[in-house]
Amino acid sequence: MMVETKKIMWMVKKDLLVLWRHKPRLFSLFLFPIIMITLFGYGMGGTINNIPIVVVDQSQGPITDATLTAIKDNSLYDVKEITSDPNAALAMVQNGQAKAAIILPTNYDNLNDTSPKSVIVDVDSSDQMASSAVIPATQGIFNGINQQLAVQKLQTTSSNITTTTVNSTSANSGNAYQNILNTVDTEVNKLYGNISYLDFLVPAIIGMTVLFGCVFGMGEIVAGERERGELARLFMTPTSVATVIGGKIISKLVQETGRGIILIVAAILLFGIIINGSMMLTVLLIILGALCFIGFGIMISARVSSQEDFMQSVMPITMPMMFVSGVFFPIETMPWIFQKIAYILPLTYVNDALRAVMLKGAGVGDIWLDIVVLIGFTAVFFYLGVTQFNRDI
Amino acid sequence: MKYAIETFDLTKKYDDFTAVDALNMKIDNKSIFGFLGPNGAGKTTTIKMLTCLVQATSGTANVAGYDIATNPNEVREKIGMVPQLVSLYGDLTVRENIDLCADFYGLPQDLKISRAEELMELVDIKYAQNKLVKQLSGGMKQKASVVASLIHQPDILFLDEPTIGLDPTTKRVLWDLVEELNSEGRTIILCSHDMYEVELLCDEIGIINSGVLAAFDTPSGLKDTMIHEEQEKKSSKSSQVIEIMDELRKEGGVEDNVAYDQLKEKIERKNRDLKELSVMISNLDDSMLNHLNNIPSILEIVEHDSGRIVMDIESSEESVSDIISEIINHGGNITSISTKDPSLEDVFMSVTTKNKEEGVDDG
Repeated sequence: MMVETKKIMWMVKKDLLVLWRHKPRLFSLFLFPIIMITLFGYGMGGTINNIPIVVVDQSQGPITDATLTAIKDNSLYDVKEITSDPNAALAMVQNGQAKAAIILPTNYDNLNDTSPKSVIVDVDSSDQMASSAVIPATQGIFNGINQQLAVQKLQTTSSNITTTTVNSTSANSGNAYQNILNTVDTEVNKLYGNISYLDFLVPAIIGMTVLFGCVFGMGEIVAGERERGELARLFMTPTSVATVIGGKIISKLVQETGRGIILIVAAILLFGIIINGSMMLTVLLIILGALCFIGFGIMISARVSSQEDFMQSVMPITMPMMFVSGVFFPIETMPWIFQKIAYILPLTYVNDALRAVMLKGAGVGDIWLDIVVLIGFTAVFFYLGVTQFNRDI
Repeated sequence: MKYAIETFDLTKKYDDFTAVDALNMKIDNKSIFGFLGPNGAGKTTTIKMLTCLVQATSGTANVAGYDIATNPNEVREKIGMVPQLVSLYGDLTVRENIDLCADFYGLPQDLKISRAEELMELVDIKYAQNKLVKQLSGGMKQKASVVASLIHQPDILFLDEPTIGLDPTTKRVLWDLVEELNSEGRTIILCSHDMYEVELLCDEIGIINSGVLAAFDTPSGLKDTMIHEEQEKKSSKSSQVIEIMDELRKEGGVEDNVAYDQLKEKIERKNRDLKELSVMISNLDDSMLNHLNNIPSILEIVEHDSGRIVMDIESSEESVSDIISEIINHGGNITSISTKDPSLEDVFMSVTTKNKEEGVDDG
């Protein structure tokens, strides 16, 4: 027993020494997930702001002024220019200076004009992200203005009937309209606080990092060592498969748990992530996830003879797992077939449990199903990995 | 224990391909055994089975007195292996690799230190013990691998192409080491394509071809067998020619009976066991050539430039010394002598080619 412990300790020590002596590998081990969070959190999924636009005002008056103020106050827009020439504005969109041109009509400020006031929005539809943000936001602004204009029209109608009671009548009519609007107003209660996309992303990035770290890591230290003959050196000695695999598992677990903890600390310090649940439970979930993915790596590396074979075997599983398991988008928003696939992939349960603990402050009682499923996956992977492990070199 | 290794119908199949087919051989304890075979012949697979790195499909073997199938860990305790490709961790130092191996064999701390020191001194690698293995030259890596394989003092040491790619000096160091380890009582199993190395070191040789043990003997025994087989081949051909000649004579097809008898005698003499003797005589002249032509044990003489003559002579133990004495007595001044015996390479080529001719699939 003492001898076996010594062997396991050697495998851990060997892997840590190799990691320490390969500074670029050590560097990328910790930097990679932080880069991932930065790229996905800020680059892809963050709130879109400051889209450059140009506004065309072809009339003067309070409605135009109010409209311009509303546009300028919206952080989505960065108003590059206000012009009266629609063609100049269109040219700005076409040459890329602006992503959209909002063109107010010539009769925009004339309340007495009963003809339709058509606001034209020319968007750069080649930029899907910008156009999909600008169109609904712009429609929202003009719907609001439209409602206000409707109120003003009601006021004008009352004054035509009786001049003396204009204000009160109009006030009564306006209040009645406003009351109707108020009855359909919605109240939003954010149950878990103001969760940003970054907050949503971090737990899953941790899960994904653990997945890739464990699976590819097992490819290196089992299939890679088998290919280079290093594993043969161990198997020449009176050492059981269980000891060798055990040593590899503990070695990888130490690395991945360390990386997971550093990642959480980095997310808190660099991105201001708040963990609502238990830190201990978060770490335990990382360990469970790591065990599960190590088991998956052992299972695949049990029969393959080279690292290339290993990579070819795991890539068709790990890459779709990254996209289907709800790392970037909620599973419920995906097509039904992907939703079904998601529930047979362990990363889904790691992500679900980590999000529940980190975002909602869930306890073991809330995520027991995720834990049970992950333990089940782990048991199956380890059973297949150990029983199918090919000791033959 | 008489035999270090004894195999019993040892077989390894990969799907439909039989890499080793019912191998039976016995390797003497404390001997140096050379295991030869062309690439893909089943040599490495056999070694892997004997070192418990690969499981046999059927049959078994006793290695150091233990069955490879039922007592693999006991076998592993008793054997060491220096593989063809150095299998030490490149990112660990020489000393770390040695310590790792020692701990995997369960050596106590004090023994681990003393043996590591002793072995590193033996192969002269102690000065590089703190260098990473990947930074070492091929020869240094091989030396480190030898130390790692010997740390638990195995009874049997397997060396798979240990000197491949090494310079002559380092080769010589490893050969000396092999002999020293053998003199300490270890059995050495040497796989090599270097026939000189095998002939220099090995007591016995096994040649495997297409998974089958094609030859097994001492180096000189293998050569003798080859000479014998060649002779038998020649003899068989000559007998056929003589039979045809006799048929011709019976049918009255021979007019000159004297010439016929001379030709028949010449064929029969050629049929005997011959070897090639090359002698350089500085004062070679016609008188000397005539004298040599009259010596019965010389069947044919071919004269070359600068006084060198190549003779086909009878392959008896005394023939060479008799001919040399005749030359000296006749006043010949000999400057060099050489005989041409079959080399181990000839034996190897003959054995492996024979298998092909006999239709053994080379897989």
